[in-house]
Amino acid sequence: MALHLNLFHEIEKQKALKRRDPLKLSMYGIGLVAAGLAGYYALQLASAAATASELSRVEAEYNKLKPQAEKAVKRKEELAGEIKTSETFVKRIEGRFYWAGVLQHLTEVVPGEVQITKLNGEIASDAARHGTLTMEGISAGAEPRKVAEDLRRNLIDKFSPQYKHVAATFALLDDGKEGVRTSGQVMPTAVFTIKLTLQLLEDEAPPPPPKAGKKAAAGKESML
Amino acid sequence: MKLGKDEIQKICLGGLMLIGLLYCYFAMLLGPLGTGKAANEKKTEEFRAKITAAKKELKQKQDMEASAPQHALVLKQINALIPDGSPVAWFPVRVTELFKQYGLDRTTTRVTQEAPEKELAGYKRLTWGVEITKADFAPMAEAVASFENNELLAEISAVQIETTLDSIGTQRVLLTVNNIVKQ
Repeated sequence: MALHLNLFHEIEKQKALKRRDPLKLSMYGIGLVAAGLAGYYALQLASAAATASELSRVEAEYNKLKPQAEKAVKRKEELAGEIKTSETFVKRIEGRFYWAGVLQHLTEVVPGEVQITKLNGEIASDAARHGTLTMEGISAGAEPRKVAEDLRRNLIDKFSPQYKHVAATFALLDDGKEGVRTSGQVMPTAVFTIKLTLQLLEDEAPPPPPKAGKKAAAGKESML
Repeated sequence: MKLGKDEIQKICLGGLMLIGLLYCYFAMLLGPLGTGKAANEKKTEEFRAKITAAKKELKQKQDMEASAPQHALVLKQINALIPDGSPVAWFPVRVTELFKQYGLDRTTTRVTQEAPEKELAGYKRLTWGVEITKADFAPMAEAVASFENNELLAEISAVQIETTLDSIGTQRVLLTVNNIVKQ
């Protein structure tokens, strides 16, 4: 067996040591990591640039729209004012209370044995247009009170189809002091005051009651 | 392999350099970039919301513009019903002439109240007392019907009818009329 002697082992050892120099290897590693990080940074930079570009595009679009929108808001306010005024006028005109109809009903319903001596009527300007008519008068006949009562009932029957919640009540019904001559006979009289209430429209629905849960919670809070 | 003291020092130095590099990378490069990007994205979203709102305003304006001529026409027609000049100069005259057509000569019209109309900008409400001292019921009712048909901006809010003792068969009538006029 031949004997090999390595006379350069010291030189080779030096070379091997130089090859696996930790500083050099760590520099390579750092370089690799730095390259990866630089690549990632480049991607992020591109993404940020795209975002900035999108921002400038959107900002430019908004700056273009802003004056138009401001003008639109002003114009909208003007138009809203006109529309509201117009709609209010139409609503008022269409929701008027017509007294001619009331007077016509009265002429149809008051019989010959009754004379209305005073009539007061008022209509409120609320949403449902509540109205009140107070009629003072004299009724004559064999049973003058019955004549007045018939008038009261007829008033309700006459006004009910056209108006809502019609009610007629006697504020006064008393025997008259003097008689009235009708058809050659002196008839007893009764004086009466009838109050007729009605409304043109239905009352607005009341707001819904608060939920039971909320109520209970409020109750608990108050108890605490 | 056994590391020498010199090599350990070099590894530690390399590690420190790596930590320094990572710190600089995140703190000075990636961090500000991410913050700036997030701020830009937030601003973009804000502008997008503003653009949506602006477009909505424009759309609403367009819709309102579409219905505006109809309302403008109504207002024009309503304004045409109100003569120029002081209402005291023309309203009593109109009432007197209208009632005269039904044989009701004794008509007096006086303004009793004046109030601004909250819902109708540029207009006010005048309350008038129209007194007819001697009126037959039927012609008076016809005159009231005619008045209500002709005066669209007026509404009778109260009626008072009383028999008069001096003339049998006639009544004294007092109407309370609310009329909308220009301010």
